[in-house]
Amino acid sequence: MTATLLLAATLALPLALLAALALPRLRRLVPKALALAPLPALVVALAAAPLGLAPLLDAGSAMLLGAVAFLWIAAGACAPMILRGASDAPRLAGWWLLTLAGNLGVFVAADLVSFYLVYAMVSLSAYGLVVHDGTTRARAAGFAYLALGMLGEALLLMGFVLAAAAVPDGSLAIRDAVAALPGSPWRDATLIFLLAGFGLKIGLVPLHVWIPLAHSAAPLPVSVVLSGAVVKAGVIGLLRFLPFDAAMADLGANLGMAFATVGLVTAYYGVLVGITQSNPKTVLAYSTLSQMGLVAAVVGMGLAAGDAGAVTAASLYAVHHVLAKGALFLAVGLAAARRSLLVLGLTAIVGLGLAGLPLTGGMIAKSVIKVPLGDGVIATLAGLASIGTTLLILHFVGRLAAKASGDAPMPLALRSAWIAVAMAALAVPWALAPGDAVAKALTAEAMWQAAWPIGIGAVLALALQRFGHRLPAVPEGDVAASGTALARLMQQGSDATARLEAHLRAWPVAGLSLLALALVLSLALGAR
Amino acid sequence: MPAAALDPGLLLVLAVMLPATGAVAALALPGRWAGRIAFGLWPLGLAVAVAVAWTVWAAGAPLHYAVGGWAPPLGLMLRADGPSALMLLVAAIVIGAAGLYARADLRPEPGATESRAAVVFWTLLMALWSALNAVALGGDLFNLYVALELLTFSAIPLVCLGGSAKTLQAALRYLVFALVGSVLYLLGTALLYGAYGTLDIVLLSGRAGPEPAAILACALMIAGLAAKTALFPLHLWLPPAHAGAPPAASAVLSGLVVKASFFLIVRLWFDVMPGLSTAAAANLIGALGAGAILAGSVMALRQARLKLMIAYSTVAQIGYLFLMVPLLFGVPQAEIAANAAWSGGWLQLASHALAKAAMFLAAGLIAEAAGHDRIHGLDGVGRAVPVAVLAFTLAGLSLVGLPPSGGFAAKWLLLSAAVATGQWWWAVVMILGGLLAAFYLFPVIGRAYADGTAAFARPRDARSREFVVLALAVAAALLGLSQLYPPGLLRIGLGSGLAGAGVP
Repeated sequence: MTATLLLAATLALPLALLAALALPRLRRLVPKALALAPLPALVVALAAAPLGLAPLLDAGSAMLLGAVAFLWIAAGACAPMILRGASDAPRLAGWWLLTLAGNLGVFVAADLVSFYLVYAMVSLSAYGLVVHDGTTRARAAGFAYLALGMLGEALLLMGFVLAAAAVPDGSLAIRDAVAALPGSPWRDATLIFLLAGFGLKIGLVPLHVWIPLAHSAAPLPVSVVLSGAVVKAGVIGLLRFLPFDAAMADLGANLGMAFATVGLVTAYYGVLVGITQSNPKTVLAYSTLSQMGLVAAVVGMGLAAGDAGAVTAASLYAVHHVLAKGALFLAVGLAAARRSLLVLGLTAIVGLGLAGLPLTGGMIAKSVIKVPLGDGVIATLAGLASIGTTLLILHFVGRLAAKASGDAPMPLALRSAWIAVAMAALAVPWALAPGDAVAKALTAEAMWQAAWPIGIGAVLALALQRFGHRLPAVPEGDVAASGTALARLMQQGSDATARLEAHLRAWPVAGLSLLALALVLSLALGAR
Repeated sequence: MPAAALDPGLLLVLAVMLPATGAVAALALPGRWAGRIAFGLWPLGLAVAVAVAWTVWAAGAPLHYAVGGWAPPLGLMLRADGPSALMLLVAAIVIGAAGLYARADLRPEPGATESRAAVVFWTLLMALWSALNAVALGGDLFNLYVALELLTFSAIPLVCLGGSAKTLQAALRYLVFALVGSVLYLLGTALLYGAYGTLDIVLLSGRAGPEPAAILACALMIAGLAAKTALFPLHLWLPPAHAGAPPAASAVLSGLVVKASFFLIVRLWFDVMPGLSTAAAANLIGALGAGAILAGSVMALRQARLKLMIAYSTVAQIGYLFLMVPLLFGVPQAEIAANAAWSGGWLQLASHALAKAAMFLAAGLIAEAAGHDRIHGLDGVGRAVPVAVLAFTLAGLSLVGLPPSGGFAAKWLLLSAAVATGQWWWAVVMILGGLLAAFYLFPVIGRAYADGTAAFARPRDARSREFVVLALAVAAALLGLSQLYPPGLLRIGLGSGLAGAGVP
């Protein structure tokens, strides 16, 4: 009971600040206090074990919650810089706090209904953040975000109803739903809806278009939390709802392999499209979906093998991504103010951590996921993805250097947030690594394994710089263009419905329909 | 006489007679009294509704009262089961909110006398309330016919209260279609009386079997009632009527009046002729419901005017109610009241009543602030009427189906029933309906909160009206929490093994 209350307290401060927006006297202060709102969550995450929260918040969830809360604090400190005046401050703060509360809630919600609520909160409220600038581009991105977000909600609702239907005593606890899943008569359907719903949130191809659109159109601190933290709602959903259970080992093999394959396709796809982009934020957004593709590969392999170890490994990998991606986005803000070699250099190091650069936190994260990935084709391909990651990150640093100009002072809040998050990205995975992972990573063999893909990636990056202009120009959001074809199709459907409806509303037709209904109904009632 | 000795069944008479007396008194007394009478009676009516619900719930059995002491088939019987009690409660709440809203809306300018429209409104509102309660409590089909007619004839003038040519035309459409529906219903009643010699619901349920007369009667009555409920494709009259009426009237029409004829469809289908349903008929009704959800939502998405959009949303939301029929097909009558689809359907009725009433009232304030209801011109209207926009948002969350709203709980229950019975196609329609609802509601909400350059004026007496609307929307947004407690009330159905209710 106390544990539940402690977990609930993580949401209390963001919601209290949200309520304070309704009071005219406090309204001005709230936007300045955004960085404080995630503090209780950080405390709960750090002290989960001593507080006795382990049964409700497992080790993986706790570390991910901690990283997410930390990034929200850093981004919250920078949020006031995007305000245009007093008029949009309460609105930004309102959407910010709602998104934050939902984002923290997905880690602590214990039952299906509250999870659905907080998940909807983080997904839908972020719309208000994406469109904050009010530009046409932001509105278009917001529309894509909301449309796919609602689709994700719909998929999850179906998945949750199916999951709940299999629980014998009607309990709505997530724990019970997961336990009942292997024996459910609707097991495969449930898993497909859950994988699709959460897969959409982490940007798996072909449901990824909203990530490059929204993450690059949003104001900078918003991009930081979208790519770093909000996307992790999908990761934690996968980790909390899938049965990584030996009982699933055979049953989940096909679905798990299929999901891992989609993940790998996304990992490579993100790199291939990412290197054609010139906007640094868009490049980072494609890097996010590439990285989340790798997480999906880990999750899929864990599901296929019924390996509970995949949860911790994927969590640690995601923790590193939270911090590294946060630091990279913050660097975009710094580079916009001024060209600084320190910023570019440290950004390259943190970024290459995503490819497993030796001695960075990313190296640990990479080595930890090797176990659940196994030693088959998937593992090999996942390992080679580091080459692509290197290429993409170096492309990003190059774009950043090209855009960096001017000699404006770097805002203090941004600078401190960047330093803190970048340092955390380098250090935190070492502290969280399980058992002998650190010792294993520090051998010469492991170093070499981590280093050579980066070397190849660097050579490719040089080639990209030389011949990159020959690459086709892929529009931001790549297949979003085919979304317009889909939109046209939907428009045609809508027009056809409208014509039909106008026809049905004509008096003679409506009168005939009424008589026809009576007639058909009596025939249907007589057909026994 | 001590209160304990009073027959609790008298409450049922009070529920019908209190508002009816009010309507007559409002006509007889000078105009300025109409509003006061309505406000004096409202707390009493609400108390009666609460008392009926409490009595039914505490007794765990339907409440009944033979008017004048004569038992059926000679006498008239009033009966209240769980769904009737729910109807009484929802009606009292929505009527009260509409009344409070209208009091500010219809208040005469200082110094002016009470307008004719105001007197008419209050009289009709009370007559309508009485008719709604009579529909919820009526025990025999002719009685119910009278109640339904009273309801129709008090609802139609509300449509054209504004008096413009356009609303008159809408009211006329409504009138003609409702009358055709009544004729079909009456034909069915006559057939049943000829065949079985009684119109009492409980007596009929014991006698009527799948004979041609019963089948034809049932088909005619359901078709007639479906026309009055505006079930797709019989919805032609609803959008202009609901969108053209004054906000308080729209709230009552969309929230309550269409639910009354649906209530009678459920009575007929599950209580009067439980053995009559066939898979084909159940699926036909389900298909019309599904068509309503999809076509109504797509049409709502295409509307440029806020009130028309909300009216088409009603067409769509009515569709969910009809999915009860196929989802409960094949469930033995004694188990129906314990089924998820049963609770889900009634919860959808209650939550839509509250949410849609809130939405129409909020739209009234929004349109008043903007001077129009074109959706494209509403950018930034949230600054003029922030509480109304908040209420609109909350009501919208219930229509889209986000927890903890009543709309979410209803959808969850209906989806569970679809999964449990393997009828996944209804689940697909419901999920699509929720998606489409998000697509027609969120842009409006987004615009209302956005920056805008248009100038909006804060309406007169906005504060009191805004809080009425907010209260209604909050009720809709929290209604799903009622599912945390065992839904005892809704399990008390006339059909579930209580066929003896008041029958010798």
